[in-house]
Amino acid sequence: MSRPAANTINAGAGHPKKGFFQTLCKQWQLVIMAVPMLLYVLLFNYGPMWGWITAFQDYTPKKGITGSKFVGWDNFKWLFGRRDFLESIRNTLAMSVINLVLGTVTSILLAILLNEVRKTMFKRTVQTVTYLPHFLSMVIVVGMAQNIFASNGPINQLLQGIGLIKQPIFFLGEEKLFWWLVGVINVWKEVGWNTIIYISAMTAIDPSLYEAAEIDGAGRFARIRYITLPGIRSTFVILLIMNIGHLMEAGFELQYLLQSSLTTDYAQTIDIFVLKYGISKQQYGVATAAGMFKSVVAIILLFAANTIAKKLDENTLI
Amino acid sequence: MKKILAAALALAMVSSPLASIPAMAEEAQEPITLTVFRGDPGDQPADDNKIYKKIEEEFGVTFEFEFLAGDLDEKLGMMIAGEDYPDLFDGGNSADLLIQNGALINLLDYVSPEKTPRLWAHIEPQKARLIEKDEDGNDVLYIIPNYGLADGEQIVNQVNGPAFFIQKQVLEWGGYPEIHTLNEYFDLLDAFIEANPTDENGTPYVGFDILCEDWRHFCLINPVQHLMGRPNDGEVLVDVNSEDFHTETFIDKPYAKPYYKKLNEEFHKGLISKDTFVMNYDQYIAALSSGTVLGMFDQTWDFNNATFALQDAKMYKNTYVALGLVYDPEYVDGKEIEEHYVNGSLPNVRRGFGISVNCECPERIVAMWEEMMSDEWQLLFNWGVEGEDYYIEDGRLMMTKEQYENTQNNNWKLHNKALAFTESSPKKQGYIMEGDLAGNCWEVGNQPEIVFGQMNDYDKEFLEHYGYQKFADFVNPPIELAPYGEAWQIDYSPVDIDHQDFLDIQDKYLPELIMCDPEEFDALWDEFVEEITPSATVFGEFMWEAVQKEAAKVLENE
Amino acid sequence: MNRGFVTPKENRIHHDRVFPVVNAIFLILLMFITLYPVLNTVAYSFNDGTDALRGNIGLWPRVFSLESYKSILSDKAVYTAAWISASKTVLITLLNLFWTSMLAYALSRKEFVLRKFITVIVVLTMYINAGLIPNYLLISKTLHLSNSYLVYIIPTMFSCFNMIVIRTYISGLPDALIESAKIDGAGDWRAFWQIIFPLCKPVLATVALFVAVGSWNSWFDTYLYNGGKKNLYSLQYLLKMKLATTQASANAAKATAEALSTSGMTTPITIRCAITVIATVPILVVYPFLQKYFVTGMALGSVKG
Repeated sequence: MSRPAANTINAGAGHPKKGFFQTLCKQWQLVIMAVPMLLYVLLFNYGPMWGWITAFQDYTPKKGITGSKFVGWDNFKWLFGRRDFLESIRNTLAMSVINLVLGTVTSILLAILLNEVRKTMFKRTVQTVTYLPHFLSMVIVVGMAQNIFASNGPINQLLQGIGLIKQPIFFLGEEKLFWWLVGVINVWKEVGWNTIIYISAMTAIDPSLYEAAEIDGAGRFARIRYITLPGIRSTFVILLIMNIGHLMEAGFELQYLLQSSLTTDYAQTIDIFVLKYGISKQQYGVATAAGMFKSVVAIILLFAANTIAKKLDENTLI
Repeated sequence: MKKILAAALALAMVSSPLASIPAMAEEAQEPITLTVFRGDPGDQPADDNKIYKKIEEEFGVTFEFEFLAGDLDEKLGMMIAGEDYPDLFDGGNSADLLIQNGALINLLDYVSPEKTPRLWAHIEPQKARLIEKDEDGNDVLYIIPNYGLADGEQIVNQVNGPAFFIQKQVLEWGGYPEIHTLNEYFDLLDAFIEANPTDENGTPYVGFDILCEDWRHFCLINPVQHLMGRPNDGEVLVDVNSEDFHTETFIDKPYAKPYYKKLNEEFHKGLISKDTFVMNYDQYIAALSSGTVLGMFDQTWDFNNATFALQDAKMYKNTYVALGLVYDPEYVDGKEIEEHYVNGSLPNVRRGFGISVNCECPERIVAMWEEMMSDEWQLLFNWGVEGEDYYIEDGRLMMTKEQYENTQNNNWKLHNKALAFTESSPKKQGYIMEGDLAGNCWEVGNQPEIVFGQMNDYDKEFLEHYGYQKFADFVNPPIELAPYGEAWQIDYSPVDIDHQDFLDIQDKYLPELIMCDPEEFDALWDEFVEEITPSATVFGEFMWEAVQKEAAKVLENE
Repeated sequence: MNRGFVTPKENRIHHDRVFPVVNAIFLILLMFITLYPVLNTVAYSFNDGTDALRGNIGLWPRVFSLESYKSILSDKAVYTAAWISASKTVLITLLNLFWTSMLAYALSRKEFVLRKFITVIVVLTMYINAGLIPNYLLISKTLHLSNSYLVYIIPTMFSCFNMIVIRTYISGLPDALIESAKIDGAGDWRAFWQIIFPLCKPVLATVALFVAVGSWNSWFDTYLYNGGKKNLYSLQYLLKMKLATTQASANAAKATAEALSTSGMTTPITIRCAITVIATVPILVVYPFLQKYFVTGMALGSVKG
């Protein structure tokens, strides 16, 4: 439905290509609206990018970028020569995929369920309450999770009580469970918060669509499937593309606090690795190299996701 | 060049000592604000703080403090990159970074027997340790230690550092036995827990806890050196009797094996729970505070809060005694090991204030410190204002209960103590040596009347059974400090990465070794040793060299 | 997309009766699960510090005490810091809404010739990071923003994520709206401010919430640039510092307190919880206030009206 319209506009924009500046002059109002923030990000985000040079240096703050020795690809070689760095890439990707899937599914689900609630007071109460844990510090949340998942904690007691298991599960010490534990804690803390964006997207759905559907005899699930979900589709796709770009970031604090020496091999993310070897040991070059690697992968993932979305005729980020 | 300038300046200033004093006093009238960075967390003092008010009146100096909120190295890295230095700089654990990057001035340009007799007298006894040589071979002193330069005999009321701890009730139950070896310790714990599996409320006792969280893993990885009869040298064992101060990592050596094998046995007896390896610090403190943990290896300061909680609940029998355990002869070829948990006192090298190269008035700061080393100022900093904060009775410094409780109250301290400044400044410690108050302690917390005056009855009776005066009597008196000091203070940043590997492998294997099937223990131990040897060798060799260098420096200067 | 709605009528009735009940039960359960940690935190914050060390506190304090709150709130610096935090939060939110929504509109215009170029430049900022030191040098040395209030405002006036969120929303609005405005002779500037901006209330409310919460919770900028200026401390920074101090002083304290009463002592565990409550309550007020904009169909309803 939106495709033909997009085509005509594209054609319109494409036509006066000879006179790029002419069009630009004609669009001076848009230019005024866009250029200040363009300059802003050029200064604040791209201005310090000279720092990436330090990825190829044995950088020390005292000598600065001009005085530090160039070491070629040594920092990258060092990183990729370390087993625990490769493990941390694996862990980061695994946990961010789990977070992305669990987080997206649960927040959309909650948004839909909330959308189906007719009583405004109840709806607002649920919204407010579910977003509260977002404000708790990770230290508090992890502390609580550690008590809940302890060998003699409520979850094990429950599972033993209903006879599902005989021996308590060693949730906190099992490497294999660590990724999932992180996923569950993230959902617990952030589901309400992540829902907000979908709820706001649902406000744009034309209520007359629901009325028409009801007259057509559509049931609740049909309404959800054919009206609500398409209504938040573009938001979903855009967030998905953005988050795919963020797959190299699985967070830092949660894993750092939740890990123990029994689970480190599965808990260490790239960010923890960088903190441990880069910043705490003044290996600034290594830290920058790791950051640069992350950025490059992120940009590749981002463009790949964007291209796929384009092929599928979805809304795109770029 | 700098030296000549400083000398000229000094000459100008002291050319006529009498004339220079009013000149300095005049200069002191001109008010200045010193920016101060502290490499540890802290609260901003209240605006109406009475001590800072006195400092302002006397020296015309006010302070603008910055405390550490995030990661120290990160913060220092940025300060160095931007050369944004405060006037006074306490680099905390990372002061080496400041020195390496030339952020601090050489205090010897301002501190000398002539110019600053009190400060000089303060550092003189330890100057061999404190004064170093820079690259050009000049004598340099960047930081005057904030702690550890004490007058008089070393005060040890209780073990503040590492030890094996045991609940008092266990010793009471065992008939107040003397516990000196690893086997005696675990045998007693085993026997106690067999007779008393739970406490009065039916909560099961935990025999032995091992905290492994993050940097607190010293509870897991450090004990072997002490079992071998040495005080805390971090992760290496130094043979002080050898001529070349033979230094090696101990965790990968055959003599480390019996300890973890013992823990493995105790694990399978149920004395140790596997939850101990995933416990965070809060959970550990909660467990200790509940009185159900019978023993652990730790350092006293690390579980202060639990001790407070137990005392608060009047569960005195559940508080802990520090024991100095050594290996039984059977573990070390029949050798009798002498116990040394408490070390001789050592200046806190490279901890405390240095003056940054950005500071415009270093001589004024040094002159202020010099003045502050007087007994009057030191008494004011340590004890407060007489009549308000303490009183004197028969030549003894005393506090009422209320006055003492004030000193424990953080908010009160922000109004009445100048801790943000004095904690990092040069200060007097130990005993007051001269005058009417000679024989009193400089620090409130060391004054015997304060320490023992209000000890609870359970503890008094407990000590009586052993015939001891104080809890430090459970261990041997301090051993003479080795020339190299304490090896854990040595800066190992050149082998940082290997050291990290060395720690990571221990963190990974030691819990596994404790939990593994006893049949598999030996094989797993061999695997561990093989895995850790490369990094252990690099770290150990580095430390050996560093220990030798440190010892040579001190022996040479002495 | 336009497939018919074919659901047997009986089924529908069945669903319509059961679904709301199941849904309500589920949501109540969810509320309990998410409320528990919050109430637990509140309970700890009102508990005696030393007693709380023993853990195992549920939804109600075991030994009631106001000491943690007293020890924090008796420091006057907290109120200065709260004012700094509140004022910067309001300013940053307004500035963000202004700049971000304007760029979002421009980049939602498919005919805009710089659209693709600017979008790529701006989007990439989400994925690149020069590192701490270059950023520090830019703000502190080049722009001389450290030790000033402006360092809270200027570097955080814009967020790409929020821009995209607004742009997506604007793209979802019917093109006809803008075109009709343009036929009436309005330029993009007027079309945006008069027609689009008012329609964006729900998404602007969302973005305002994100920005306000982010700004309110930030402490890192104080730590980097204003650590030496106690009059410029933000609330989160000050509270974080108080927690760190409590932790450090617990370790430094000598156990010579012995038999002296230690009750009424604050400990890291209760301070941490009290800090959470103190820092969170003010920002919680924002949400219910913004919630009235999250009503389904509001945006288009107002078009029709």
